Amino acid sequence: MNPTPLVVLEGIGKRFGAVTACQGVNLAIWPGRIKAVLGENGAGKSTLMGILAGQYQPDEGQVLVNGVPVRFRSTREAIAAGIGMVYQHFTLVPAMTVAENLALGQEGGPWFSPSAMARRVSTQAEALGFAIDPDARVADLSMGERQRVEILKVLSRGCQLLILDEPTAVLTPAETQTLFAALRRLAAAGVAVVFISHKLNEVLAVADEVAVLRRGRVVDECPVAATTSPAELARRMVGRDDFLAVDRVPLEPRQVVLRMAGVWGGGLHGVDLTVRQGEIIAVVGVAGNGQRPLVDVICGLRAPERGTVTILGQGWAEFHRTAPWQGGIGYIPEDRLGVAVCRELDAVDNFLLTTRQGFCRFGVLQRQRARQQVVELMATFRVHPPQPQLAARQFSGGNLQKLVLGREFFRRPRLVVADQPTQGLDVAATHDVWQALLAARTVAGVLLVTGEVSEALALADRLVVLYRGRVVAAFAADDEVEVARIGLYMAGAAAQEGAGS
Amino acid sequence: MSWEWFLPIVAAAVQAGTPIFYATVGEILMERAGILNLGVEGAMLLGALAGFWTSMVTGNPWVGLAAAAAVGSLACLLHGVVTTVALANQVVSGLALTILATGLANFLGTPLIGLPAPGFDQRPLPGLSALPILGPVLFHQDVLVYASYLLPVLVSVGLRRTRFGLRLRAAGESPTACRAAGLSVLRLRLLACLFGGALIGIGGAYLSLAFTHLWTNGMTAGRGWIAVALVIFAFWRPGRAMVGAYLFGGVMAFQLRLQAAGTTVPSSLLLMLPYLLTVAVLAASSRFRGVAGAPAALGTNPEPSE
Repeated sequence: MNPTPLVVLEGIGKRFGAVTACQGVNLAIWPGRIKAVLGENGAGKSTLMGILAGQYQPDEGQVLVNGVPVRFRSTREAIAAGIGMVYQHFTLVPAMTVAENLALGQEGGPWFSPSAMARRVSTQAEALGFAIDPDARVADLSMGERQRVEILKVLSRGCQLLILDEPTAVLTPAETQTLFAALRRLAAAGVAVVFISHKLNEVLAVADEVAVLRRGRVVDECPVAATTSPAELARRMVGRDDFLAVDRVPLEPRQVVLRMAGVWGGGLHGVDLTVRQGEIIAVVGVAGNGQRPLVDVICGLRAPERGTVTILGQGWAEFHRTAPWQGGIGYIPEDRLGVAVCRELDAVDNFLLTTRQGFCRFGVLQRQRARQQVVELMATFRVHPPQPQLAARQFSGGNLQKLVLGREFFRRPRLVVADQPTQGLDVAATHDVWQALLAARTVAGVLLVTGEVSEALALADRLVVLYRGRVVAAFAADDEVEVARIGLYMAGAAAQEGAGS
Repeated sequence: MSWEWFLPIVAAAVQAGTPIFYATVGEILMERAGILNLGVEGAMLLGALAGFWTSMVTGNPWVGLAAAAAVGSLACLLHGVVTTVALANQVVSGLALTILATGLANFLGTPLIGLPAPGFDQRPLPGLSALPILGPVLFHQDVLVYASYLLPVLVSVGLRRTRFGLRLRAAGESPTACRAAGLSVLRLRLLACLFGGALIGIGGAYLSLAFTHLWTNGMTAGRGWIAVALVIFAFWRPGRAMVGAYLFGGVMAFQLRLQAAGTTVPSSLLLMLPYLLTVAVLAASSRFRGVAGAPAALGTNPEPSE
């Protein structure tokens, strides 16, 4: 093994405005080894790797390549220094062939020979164990194949360090295994690989070393073989001791605000569900197992085909025909910019989208009064920047989500439906959203749909597991036996007796 | 009586189709790089005027042709700068170019109406012109027609077999990928305007230097618009553009013959034929192929992060 690291990061710090993305990061990357950078959304992984790949310049510290300090002003300079990155969003031309895509950024004479390029690509791909047809159009390739083309693209420019940003997010399990095999072959050939992920099992499966990033700092760095346990790694990643311990004082459940009995439609298969005021029910499961139709049915976006839905004591059709703007349902959609708000409207207009009935006199909107209300909400929910005239798209994900929460809670809902409310949010924003949901329990029942089991366990009183449109398990959050089996339920194993809540 | 009466009509179709063919290939070059240019009609007209005036003043139609290419390039570069540097809407900028250029050409050209200028005459190619059928149709033409026969091969090879062509197509398909490869979308698109504009200018000059040897106001008479439509008909391929251009040339030549033969159909109706065909062809090709083959980033301006 090479005695010197290929790339060293020394005391790297980077701020975006008031937000510190990373701080005092030291990291050594060795040739022939796969390093996983593990961390939650917003932990600073992507920023750190963006600095390595020449996307950003660090505010503090320095990057050394083969012991020489460097400062990249563009991704092109980073590539010239042998550092290439495969982004989550691919940068290929779909209408062109694989060979043409690979030739695009390369230097050379004025002529381009598709057949010669195809031969070169084939040789290169075979050496890596990639099965790629160089004459195939990229548009016809699967996501996994496109990713392989991206990797080839980086390597064909002579990169010695390959960075992959959440590479498995778009892959099927089988494609993930192919990718891992390829990464191991690359490492065996002496390439340094950095693998960004927030999935523990993947890191343990493929990496030689792991660096755990939390709130922009490296909190742990060790060989994977020396990792005491996945649970310990998880604890370090999310920092449960100082962060996940939100104060959840259980409240006495009161009247039922939502009752679903044998509901079918849009992929739901006889779902039973009850939500009472004072409790949070978490719906967990792998995405696409019925979460979307469940939320759509409750919020009135889709009619149930069979079964009964009772909302605040009224039938589904009756409730949604006359849904009150206050004291009804507060809906926090998963698609923030697409469903929750209008991108180009300002904060006040977006606020009025669901609250306009409260700001209407003789058919005229009282925009000034709404504006004062938004300013107040911005202070209460700590929205930054607190400027109501900004368009929705100008707020960061976390701040926009807090605006949506503020708007929906202003309607004093008695049933809150929160669909993936912390997806893509940083740690601080996640914390604020959690606090808001817990506070909502005093007046409402909360249905929390989430893909993060840790979130469900932190907030919910009861958990419901969805699998292929069915409730396969329902249990209290403090039932340790059942909680230990969540993974099995989510994978569809062992439907529980008498499922339903 | 045999089919031989038909050959002069086909020969006339090739001649009438040639200016449209040049303009269509020019537009294809620009659109392949992502620039939708609705200013073809205007750029053609300016090319026709510049070619005619320069040829008249210098007495050399080749100098006139060069001037037409240069003016066509400049006109399209104006559109390119407005859309890629100032990021203006491509549709609006193209329409504005046509309006501006039409007005300018008619203003500058009015004193030239009726004046003579040297141009290109039909010169049968030795050897080839003796071929049966093909000889009288393809090789009893002028030098600009002969040159246009090479266009599909040259442009196809240029787009597919050169590094520059590869990059130019990438600029029209995915500016993001282009930039990730370290290329300048701006530079590629402006170069496409330069080359495409030259061809469009030559297409215009064909009207005033070869098709006729005269200048008349508005002499392009919608041929630029037909070229824009033909690009879609041709699925952005120069070879198919040749077929399309001759088809339109054929309709134009045919209606002229009908008028000459003294038909009772009003001439205004006959004059409409090429444009009716444009509408029909567009509807048919969209019906059967959709917009397949259109460059993915056509008409869009990349984010100004360069």
